[in-house]
Amino acid sequence: MRGIKRGKGSIMDSKSRNATLIVGLTIAGMICAQAETRKEMHFKVGRHATVSITNQFGPISVRPAVGREVVVTAILSSDKVEVDQNQRGSRVDIFSHLLPNADATSGQVSYDVAVPADASIVLHSTDGQLRAEKMRGDVDFEEATGDVDLRDFSGAHVHIKTLDGPVTLTNIQDGYIEITSMGGDVVMNAVSGPMVQVNSVSGKILYDGDFGAGGEYVLTSHTGDIEAQAPAYASIDVFARSVTGPVVNDFTLEPEHTPFAIKAGSAFAGTVNKAASKVKLLSFSGKIHLKKR
Amino acid sequence: MTCEQFQELLPEIGGGNRNIEYETHLRSCQECWGLVSDLNAISRQAPLLQASEEPGPELWNSIESALREEGLIRSSRQQPVLVLKSKPRWNLAWMLPAAASVLIVLGVLNYQGKIHSVSTETAPAITAQSVNTRSPLVASFSAEDQKFLTAIAFRSPTLRAKYERGLRDVNAYIRDAQQSALNDPNDEEAQRYLMSAYDQKAMLYQMALDRFQ
Repeated sequence: MRGIKRGKGSIMDSKSRNATLIVGLTIAGMICAQAETRKEMHFKVGRHATVSITNQFGPISVRPAVGREVVVTAILSSDKVEVDQNQRGSRVDIFSHLLPNADATSGQVSYDVAVPADASIVLHSTDGQLRAEKMRGDVDFEEATGDVDLRDFSGAHVHIKTLDGPVTLTNIQDGYIEITSMGGDVVMNAVSGPMVQVNSVSGKILYDGDFGAGGEYVLTSHTGDIEAQAPAYASIDVFARSVTGPVVNDFTLEPEHTPFAIKAGSAFAGTVNKAASKVKLLSFSGKIHLKKR
Repeated sequence: MTCEQFQELLPEIGGGNRNIEYETHLRSCQECWGLVSDLNAISRQAPLLQASEEPGPELWNSIESALREEGLIRSSRQQPVLVLKSKPRWNLAWMLPAAASVLIVLGVLNYQGKIHSVSTETAPAITAQSVNTRSPLVASFSAEDQKFLTAIAFRSPTLRAKYERGLRDVNAYIRDAQQSALNDPNDEEAQRYLMSAYDQKAMLYQMALDRFQ
């Protein structure tokens, strides 16, 4: 009968199979150690919670959640980084902890975060992309070189600091916005609110919107160009000045008294329609252009 | 008492808490005697700070950078002690003993550099690297800015070039804004430029410190 008698050959085959199995398991273990790790964390929070994430390498994406729970999904690229978590009441802190010999590749963690829409978000990153959408709470982003992308916000206080990463804001309504950029370009599409303030050193500032009604918009740069594009129905009280750079205006302005003389070619001031919003475009040597859409 | 033990006790002894061991070592060690003499000279000069201009926030930021580099301030997620987030109203009289203490600590650090071999081995390498990668315009950086860049090079070499470029740009911004404000002191927009320029520099220092906590 087959399969009953086992001779020396069978024993050798068994040993060979065992050896192969052991080697295979060892290799699989090594591969697993290097492979990505997915970690999911859940936090119950109350109203106006604060979620803070510090992640040196890797993107962070924030979206609104249903209910009063914060769900953080972290994908760790290797075992050279770990995710520390801490919750005190409605304050949640997540920190990507780099272990020895971690670098920008092995130390990368990708975060996908779902938070209640009224929660405040604090994100610190070095070169990962920061994205957030459809939020109503305060947003405080600090980014060295990666890009920042916010869209579809309403009634939020937005504070962004960046070294030279580009910043893009799209459809931000009723916002209190403060952006400080060293060299990154700042692009704003359909952004309006009671206060919009952008301070750039060498990055460009590009605004495309109608300046809302009743807000104050101050766009300042040292050497970066400032381009603001608005529709003909925009209602603004505008003052623009470049100390050494050129200024160009496509609108017909009603003249307005200013405390100092307007030097043609370097400055212009006046009102359009009912002058509902105040707009200041200031640069030291960049070009300023107020375009009519 | 060894020289290392003597210098570790210096901040306490500077408050007048001397003992026999301290006095004995001081009389027998020429190097430590020289150190104490120099520190006493610094303390005598401290009142003259009253006549000097109020230091800007950059000074405190650079002092903190130097202390972090030496390891006296450990990594902590708490708010740094010496970093100014907003412009405080400094009372010069209050600042004098604080400034004198900081100068004494810096003087001790300079002498400790001769004993701690790790610092001695590391610092020249960083300095040499900084010199090799420095652009010609770095020579225009203030001492505080150079300490800031050295600290960044030590902690995060890959970001050093970006911070150096940012620092150069923001210093140019401040210079232009200062000139603009001087040209017309009544120009509110020129004042706004200057505030914006200083805000940019404060942001640069703050971002670096946040990274190194």
